[in-house]
This record gives sequence, C-alpha cells and structure tokens, in this order.
Amino acid sequence: MNCSEIRARLHAYVDGELTVSDIAEVDGHCMGCQECAALVGAERVFRELLRRQPRDAAPSELRARIVRRVQRDAAFATSRRWLLLPAVAAAAAIVVAVLLPARTPPPLVADLVDKHIAYAQLERPAELSSTNPREVAEWFQSKAGMRVTVPDYSPSGIQLTGARLAEAHERQAAYLLYEKGRTLLSVFMVPISASEAALPGRRVSYRDHDYVAYEQKGYRTVSWSDGQTVYGLVSMLDYDALLECADRLRAERARQTRL
Amino acid sequence: MALVHLDALYHVALRLTRNRAQAEDIVQEAFLRAFRSFHRFNPGTNCRAWLFTILRNVFLNRVRTQGREVLEAEIGGVDQAEGMVDTHVGANPEERFLQTVLHGDVDRALATLPMAFREAVLLVDIEGLTYREVSEIVGCPIGTVMSRLSRGRALLRRALVRFAREHGYVKEDE
Repeated sequence: MNCSEIRARLHAYVDGELTVSDIAEVDGHCMGCQECAALVGAERVFRELLRRQPRDAAPSELRARIVRRVQRDAAFATSRRWLLLPAVAAAAAIVVAVLLPARTPPPLVADLVDKHIAYAQLERPAELSSTNPREVAEWFQSKAGMRVTVPDYSPSGIQLTGARLAEAHERQAAYLLYEKGRTLLSVFMVPISASEAALPGRRVSYRDHDYVAYEQKGYRTVSWSDGQTVYGLVSMLDYDALLECADRLRAERARQTRL
Repeated sequence: MALVHLDALYHVALRLTRNRAQAEDIVQEAFLRAFRSFHRFNPGTNCRAWLFTILRNVFLNRVRTQGREVLEAEIGGVDQAEGMVDTHVGANPEERFLQTVLHGDVDRALATLPMAFREAVLLVDIEGLTYREVSEIVGCPIGTVMSRLSRGRALLRRALVRFAREHGYVKEDE
C-alpha cells in the first residue's frame, strides 16, 4: 500500500475495522513511513480524547420510573394471561436486569479481547513457536529485554504453543499463546504506570485474590494488576479454568520476583 | 438485561437532544417500546445496537412531530454535502491543541455537528459500536457510515481548534 491508500484506511485502521492482513500492511508501511505513523498516532490521541470524556449516568429517578412502567405493563399483560403475551417473560428479564451492574469492561480489557480475536484468525499467530516455557522466557529477554513469567499449564492439558510481542494500549506487551485442544488461551502482560494501576471493574475473588472478570464478545477474560503490569487472560475456556491459570501465573510470578 | 444499557442510551439521548428533559423522555419511551416488542428481538443479536435503533427512531419521530424539519434535512442532506469538508483539516500530527481541550469542549464541539455526523461519531467514538452495527442502526451502507465518521471527526477537530483559539491556547496562524 502507498501513503494515499494508507490514509484512505486510516480511520478504519485506528477503529480496528480492517482485516488482519490489511492491519499487517498498514503496520508494515508505518514502520517505514514517519508521516503515516504520525497520522496514525494523532488519530489515536484524538480517539482517546473522545473516549475519555466523562459520561452522564441516567438519573436514578428515570431508572425507577422505567422499572415502574415496565412492571405495570407486565402486570397488565399477566391479567390478560389468555393472550400469553411474550412480553411477560421479557418484563421479568428486564426487571431482573436492573439488579445487575453495568458490564462494560475497562478499555484495556476490551483491547485485549480484540487482540485475541485478531490473532486467533492468523494461521500462525506466534512469532516464536515453542512449547518450552524457559525458551519462551529467554526469547522475551533477548528480544525485548522483558522479564516474563511463562507458566506451565501442561498438567491441566493446556499446552504452551508460542509467544509474540503485541501492541496493547499503545505499548509493547508480552503475549503468550496456549491451547487446550483447539481452544486458544491468550495470556497478555501489559506494562502500566503507577497511575493506571487500579484496574476498574467487576471483581471476583479466587483463593484470596481479587480478579476483574468480564465476558466480552463471547470471550471470557480474567485480569489483575500488580502495580507494574496488567495481566489479562482471554479465552473461551470457562471461568474456573481461567481463574486457576491466573492463580498459577500469579504464584509463579511471586516466586520469581522473590528469587 | 436491557436496563444495563440505560446509561449508554441516556448519554447518547442527551447528546442528540441537548436537553435533559427531552433526553429522559425519549429514553423512557425507547425502553417501553423495547419492552413491548421484546419478542421481536433476536437473542443472538446485539441488544445494545437494537436499543439504539429504537432510541433513534423515537428521537426522529419526536423531531418530526415537533416540526423541526431542519434536523431531518440534515439527516438526509449531508451525504450530498460530501467534499465540503476537508477531512485533513487539523491533521497536524502533533495536534498540540488536543492537550488544551477543556472540560465540556468536546460536548460543545459535538453539538455543532450536523446530526448525521454527530450520531456517527457518538456511536463509534463514544459508544464503541462497530461500523456494521452503526450501519444497521442508521440504515445506510457501511461506506456511508465511514465517510460520515471521517467528516464528523474532521469537523469536530475544527471546532476544538476554534475553542482552543478562544481559550488562547492556540494562536491564530496555527
């Protein structure tokens, strides 16, 4: 692609709307073209600005009013039960939903899910193919000077398949790839600054540790932060398996840090 | 399962109407309509996008009944106005002015956009919907969504630069 073709795709690229092969082309072009890279950077900054805008929450009075109206409609529908309106079931679903908190994942987690989806489409998502945790750790050390903990999940039938450097939240992140059967498990480690350390979101507790858990686009995610790094697991595996993997990675990391 | 999207709907409604009472009004009506036609919602599809579609329809209906044809004309007319906006305006890679954007500037800038551009920017940039979802919500091809988006963003930048000048952060010649 030349510069004008890149610029025509600039918005779609930054919005994550290009195909994986087009993304790779734009990435490749931007590595050699400062002008296009600067435009991409500027577009990202602009989008970040828009995303950062404070959001208006609906007044609680409005929420209550809608619930009252829905319940009234549902009661009316029930009184005409012979009509068997499907709305009754729907009303129950909506009213139950009021009890649930809003479930939009933090931007970083959403970003990791998108990365997982993008890489899962590639024939060979790993830069380094390896089933050996030690080899993978050494690769990160020599390639990017990163001290990465590479847990061994093989006793649970989850096999390490490789690793790559990935971009997440506009910075370089370590990305470990595992497979259980044909199900991909992505483990991301994203360096963060102290001010970003608090990972907002819905918390679950597992073996005395808190994790942020979200389901996004059909994938489950478990994440946590140790103040320097955000760890994020993304997969279609169930939460039990993800939390167990998270717990083992956390323990292994703690052991290595002590050494 | 639908009320979890209440905040998002209210946020968008407020930016479409620019008026709290009207925003509450159309959000409430959108939810009641959604509730009554819930059986038509296909569980495999995106509930939030479906709610936005209903919200937009309620909003357009209101605008129509209030006789504010101006907005209607905007919705239909912008695509013919293509080419009137230089999409590279403000594409100064440094974009120093972005550092100077004050609280409320983005909302003020959004309010200056014609409706079709405003809704594209709102749904993609603020609400994080995909091009396909937006194309279904507003009922036009993905290509149209893309061009509205890039023009909307260019206009938004232009307005933000104007505000930065007003605040004295950017000089006239920048």
